[in-house]
Amino acid sequence: MKRLPIILAVTTALLAGVWFGARALRPYSFHGTIIQSPEPAPDFTLQSASGPVSPSDFRGKVTVLFFGYTFCPDVCPTTLADLAGAMRILGDEADEVQVVFVSVDPDRDTPERLAEYVGSFDPRFVGVTGNEDEVAAVAAVYGIFYEKHEGTPASGYLIDHTASAMVIDREGRLKLVLPFGIGPQDIAADLHELLK
Amino acid sequence: MRRIVVLVLLIGVVAAACGGSAGGIEVTDVWGRPSPSAATNAAFYMNITNGGDAPDQLVGASSPACSVTELHEMYMKDGGVMGMRPVQGGAVEIAPGATVEFKPGGLHVMCIGITEELKPGTTVPLTLTFEQAGDLQLEVEIRAN
Repeated sequence: MKRLPIILAVTTALLAGVWFGARALRPYSFHGTIIQSPEPAPDFTLQSASGPVSPSDFRGKVTVLFFGYTFCPDVCPTTLADLAGAMRILGDEADEVQVVFVSVDPDRDTPERLAEYVGSFDPRFVGVTGNEDEVAAVAAVYGIFYEKHEGTPASGYLIDHTASAMVIDREGRLKLVLPFGIGPQDIAADLHELLK
Repeated sequence: MRRIVVLVLLIGVVAAACGGSAGGIEVTDVWGRPSPSAATNAAFYMNITNGGDAPDQLVGASSPACSVTELHEMYMKDGGVMGMRPVQGGAVEIAPGATVEFKPGGLHVMCIGITEELKPGTTVPLTLTFEQAGDLQLEVEIRAN
């Protein structure tokens, strides 16, 4: 009977060990949608103000592709501000992250205009575009939908577009999709996990 | 005594700077983002509460910071595609007792053709026009990203 306290203590210790072990082994739960069997991200070349840019230039980093346009008043600034916030949260680790803003409005967004625009969110962000066919081809391989539609006389045409961002891992695989509006904290946590 | 009155008035003015109310309509948390370089458009957000007994409608907005101001809404289509359109009927219904949120990804006052840089920490004037409550003068707080 004297042994009972010892048995209890040992059992408790074992259970605690199993519990903590299981917790440590439990995989990180992403806020974005993880792609279970990631494929190599399709490569492309579009123009930035400082020359051609391809996702493969950033192999070894985590690359975030976001498609939008500078006339966009709501979704694009919100997402770029969230991504810039995530960069600040990541601190030094942010140097291992490259955000690329792809314009789906080649008629109005020049590489120079894009550089100014994205640079005011974070000087490390890159903005790229190409001619209509080039942009359409890039959007298609990434499953990005966009479509011009008439706005009002004042707004000019507007563009409906996929509001999620695509994340390419260090090995160049399309790994994660960040839905619109998840906020800088969750984006930073997901990127941090991919940087491990 | 006069000083206290002045002080109270001043506090009242400061407190009202970013919100306002008229005819049962109260508008709070009026904000926008700093304008990125090269940007031509912006969006303003707010909460509109109808504390009255009768329905009202937001029918228009204007600001010296915008060439044109329109009421827009974002809507989600299939596959994470977001579209933007002027609000249907050009007005936003504010039911009695309801609070309508204007927020990123939803309703916003679209500021088309910004006439000045929207700098963090500053405010820009905004007038909201309600069918019943009339005009409401507000200040949009430009919040740092």
